Order: sequence, then C-alpha cells, then structure tokens
Amino acid sequence: MAVYRRGYHRYQGRIMGRWARFLVLPRFSWKKLFRQRLVVLLMVVSVIWPLLCAGFIYLTNHADLLKGLPREFQSFIEVNGKFFLVFMNTQAFFAIFLSALIGPGLIAPDLANNALQLYFSRPLTRPEYALSRLAVLFGVLSLITWVPGLLLFGMQVGMAGSWWFRANWTLSLGIVAGFAIWVLLVSMVALASSAYVRWKIIAGALVMGFFFILSGVATMINGVFRVTWGHALNPAWAANAVWRTLLSVEPIEGPGAAACALVLAGIILLLALVLERKLRPVEVIK
Amino acid sequence: MTSPVVELENLRVKLGRREILRGISSRLGVSGVGKAIGLLGPNGAGKSTLILTLLGFHKPLGGQARVLGFDCRSQMREVRSRVGYMPETDSFIANMTAVTFLHLMAGLSGLPGEAALEKAHEVLFHVGLGEARYRELRTYSFGMKQMAKLAQAIVHGPELVILDEPTNGLDPSARQRMLRLVREMKEEQGMNVLLCSHLLRDVEQVCDEVVIMKDGMIVHECNLEEERRSNKSFVELEVTGDDRNLQGALPAIGADGVTEGGGRWRIVLPPKVDIQVIWDLMAQQNLLVRKLNHRRDTLEEIFLKAMGHIAHTPGEGLLPGNGNCAAQNHKDSKDLRGTA
Repeated sequence: MAVYRRGYHRYQGRIMGRWARFLVLPRFSWKKLFRQRLVVLLMVVSVIWPLLCAGFIYLTNHADLLKGLPREFQSFIEVNGKFFLVFMNTQAFFAIFLSALIGPGLIAPDLANNALQLYFSRPLTRPEYALSRLAVLFGVLSLITWVPGLLLFGMQVGMAGSWWFRANWTLSLGIVAGFAIWVLLVSMVALASSAYVRWKIIAGALVMGFFFILSGVATMINGVFRVTWGHALNPAWAANAVWRTLLSVEPIEGPGAAACALVLAGIILLLALVLERKLRPVEVIK
Repeated sequence: MTSPVVELENLRVKLGRREILRGISSRLGVSGVGKAIGLLGPNGAGKSTLILTLLGFHKPLGGQARVLGFDCRSQMREVRSRVGYMPETDSFIANMTAVTFLHLMAGLSGLPGEAALEKAHEVLFHVGLGEARYRELRTYSFGMKQMAKLAQAIVHGPELVILDEPTNGLDPSARQRMLRLVREMKEEQGMNVLLCSHLLRDVEQVCDEVVIMKDGMIVHECNLEEERRSNKSFVELEVTGDDRNLQGALPAIGADGVTEGGGRWRIVLPPKVDIQVIWDLMAQQNLLVRKLNHRRDTLEEIFLKAMGHIAHTPGEGLLPGNGNCAAQNHKDSKDLRGTA
C-alpha cells in the first residue's frame, strides 16, 4: 500500500544494536560531505602527492630506469623512513585544510539550531555524539593519510620483496601511529572550533589559525627566551618530532619526542574539555 | 503490574545556585494505556526543568525520577529509547530535507535503514507534511516546523511522548490540528503523552490527568477524566438582599455553596439538577438576582485555585468525584477570598 494511504502506526519491529546506531550519524555526514564539490576537489588534490610517491617507489624498484641517473640521486630517492616522513609532512597539511573545510559543518550547525536536544533525547550520549563526529573526520582524513601511507608501504613491499619488509616493518606502525596522532589532533581542533564558534566560516578560520598562531607563538618564545623548547608548542613541529622517532629518522634540535608527545596529548585533552563544556543539550545560565 | 508513566520521589534539581525542583513526589499515569498527563504552571514553575530531568539532561540533586519504570539516571538509555521528545524551542538540523531529518532521527532511535525511511515518509504524511517532505527544514514556516518536531518525536513509535508547549505560536487551525494529532496518538496508538503547556484549554482538551506546579513544587494533581464524568455544574451568583439564610437552604436542593461576601456566592449543583431550582430558591428567599453565571467546572478554576488566586471550589470534599483532585501545597490553598 502507498505510504500516504497507510496512516501512522507505531513502529514495533526490530531495533538495531548499539554500534549500528552509533554509525548512523557518521553515515549521514559522509553522505552529505561527498555531495560537496569542494570537499571532493580537495580530496582529489590530496591524493596527488601519494600518487607521485607511488611513482617514486616504482622508479626506485626498477633499477634499469635509473641507470642513466647520477648515483647521488639514486640514493636520494631511496624508500626509507625519510621518504615516508616527507610523505607524512605533506599529507599533514592537506589534513589541516580538509578538516578546516569539513569540521565546522559538523557541530556548529547543530548548536546554532538547537539540534543537540533532539540527539540527546534519543539513546545517544554526549561522548557517543562527540565520538561519532570524530569518526566522520577520522574516516575522511584517513583516506588521505594513513590509508595511502599503508598502500605505499604495501607497494614497496610488493616491489622490493620480503627482505625489505623484514628490515622496515616498523615503518608501517610508524605511519599508522604517527598519522593517528595527527588526525586525532586535527579532528579535535576542528570539532572544538566548531563547538566553540557557531559560525562555520569563523570556525574554519579558527582551525587554520590554531596551527599558524601556535607556530608563531612557538617561534616567538624561542626568539625571546633564546630556547628551543618553545617548538613543543607548535603542533606541526611537535608531531614531526614524534614521527621522526616512530620512523627512525634522526631527530632535529629541540625538545624530545616524549616531551612533544606529552604536549600533543595535553592539547588534545584541553580540546576534549572544550567539547565537554560545549556539547550540552541545554544551556544553564548561572 | 503496570508501572506509572512518571514516578517522582522527593526529586530535587538545582541549576546553578537555585533549587528549581524542591523535593517533588508523584505517580503519574499508567504505562501502556494511552493517557495524557498535563503539566501546568506559570513561567518559572519548573515544568521544563522536570521534563529535562526526566530526559536525563539535568542531574538531580536528590531523590529519584522514573519513567516507564526506568531510572532517569542509571537507566537513561532505556528511558530515551522509549521516549519521544518535542522541544519547545526551534530545533532542527540545518540543510536537511524533512524526510532525511526524520530518517536520521529514526535511525538514531534504532530503526533499521529501510524501516526508518519508510516511517519517515509515513509520519510526515500523518502530520500533514507529505507534500513538503523533500523541502529543506529551514524553508518551513513556524507551523510546519512545529509539525516536523512532532513528527521526529513519534517517528520511532515511543511509549511516551513528551511535548513541551506544542501549540506555541500556532494559528487556530494549526493548533486544532496539533491537538487532534495528540489525541489520536493516545487514543489510536496507545501512546502516553506528557503535555507541558501554559494554555489551559489545550490541556483540558487533550489530557486525562493534570499536575499543576508552582515554584518548583507540585501544588495540585487532578484526574480530569473523572472530573468530567462527575458532571458537576457551578453557579456564580450575585444577589441583593438578606442572604444569611441561603447557606442553610442550599442543602434542601442538594447543592452546596460558599459566600465570598457582598452578596457573591459560588454554588455547586449536583448532576441532573436544573438551573431553574436556583431561580426558585432565590424567589423563596426574596433575593434579587443581579448576576448568574452557570457553567461546568473548568481547568482554569482548578488552576487558579492551585495558584492561590481564588478560594476553594464550593462543595469540595462533599460530592463524589472530588476525591480526584488533591492539593499538595496547603499553604497555597488557604482561603484567599477576595483576591480573585
């Protein structure tokens, strides 16, 4: 029978499990996101560098193609920790741009339109809501970070053989862990901005500003106090320091990986606190 | 044994430094029988706070609140999966068509994808938004948004629907439609309804039970259904002359009444007694009737009485059916004659 003739009847059928319900919100968000041309365009641009990296891997594994090239260049394009560090640095910037584009649209409109009380009057808790929003960003950013990273790693293994895997298997863990930290940080910044500012454009600017301003603050501290620990306040620098350790690349001058990891954890914690404060179904005016 | 729809035990809620709900206790409705409970009270009485506490949005300072037998704090998930909530404020999800919005809401309530989409269409036709279901919610008029809010509250077929001021800002026809839908929900679908409103007529039209709140306390509970069945009628009378013997003469016609001074009387007539007997009695007593207002007891009277704005209803506690109402705040129901 046609729906419009049927009339309303209470639903009394099967109810989905908790995890299936949790995925409803990300599913709707992904569907909406991939309808936006700008998002799709930025995603396409973001996979250009991984494609170029795939080309490098192909080249390094085909010695006959490199015969005419100088020896120094041959060693330069060797696939090792340094190679993946360059790959990660580039993709990290695309992740910032993408999160600044996507993140503000996740929470700000819900707050602006009082939608949180509709969500939270259903079997969805505040942490679940925040996690489901995080899952949206994590899912999209994964497509341009650790997923292509692992594909490149797999491609290298496939071309170089098992000896390369035995010698460098820790790189795969480094790629996944390093990107996981970065994606988590970038997503939290985007979500906190989106929750703090109810206007999408300003929230987007805040995401970009967070990274650039902190970078400026770090440089200023180092310059004024003639120290190097200020670098730890620059999230990009701190993440790079952690990645270097994870990928077994020589560290740069400044605070160590453990200190940087602690600072990053602290930043993520502060951002989680912002979300905890802002994601409430009703505002209580004291 | 069926559990009450809402059960409150010395519930206290504090927001900031102010205690909004001050130890309220009550058992409202019976689950699964499709009854509507009206939550009445002036602004700031604590109605919305009570609703938000039942939904788990506010943490109680003390006491307990149970909805359909589930504790609002420790069994919040169970409560929320059985409840539909229509908030008072404008609440929707931006850049979404009505059907997508309802599909999402049904999904979050646990309906599988296909069933959720089917229910979304079904409910939108039910509330009269069938033709506009592919329009974005932000393009809706206020009345349409109210209907969309109602639709999202019932899309998953909850056992209890909590409606916070559902007719606010609606034109008369939309208001009637909203009330008809609420009546259908309880009568045809067997849903329990908790209706929070300051519009007495809405509550009177829809509800079977009424709870009146004031200053964070329940000051009155009333079973409207039984009140209606008792079919009492009331006479407001203003007479000139010596009315000292009138009090003694009223029981002879089966009536009871109280004087408010200055020849003003409030008289309750038993069922099936015609108003003509009042005219006859006034003639017997040589009293000149200056004003006579004959009507049935209204919720307005019950409300004003609970608020302490009028004295008690005449005949209260003497006629059958009066036991249906219970004033909890005795301080407020003291004789405040002359303040009406």
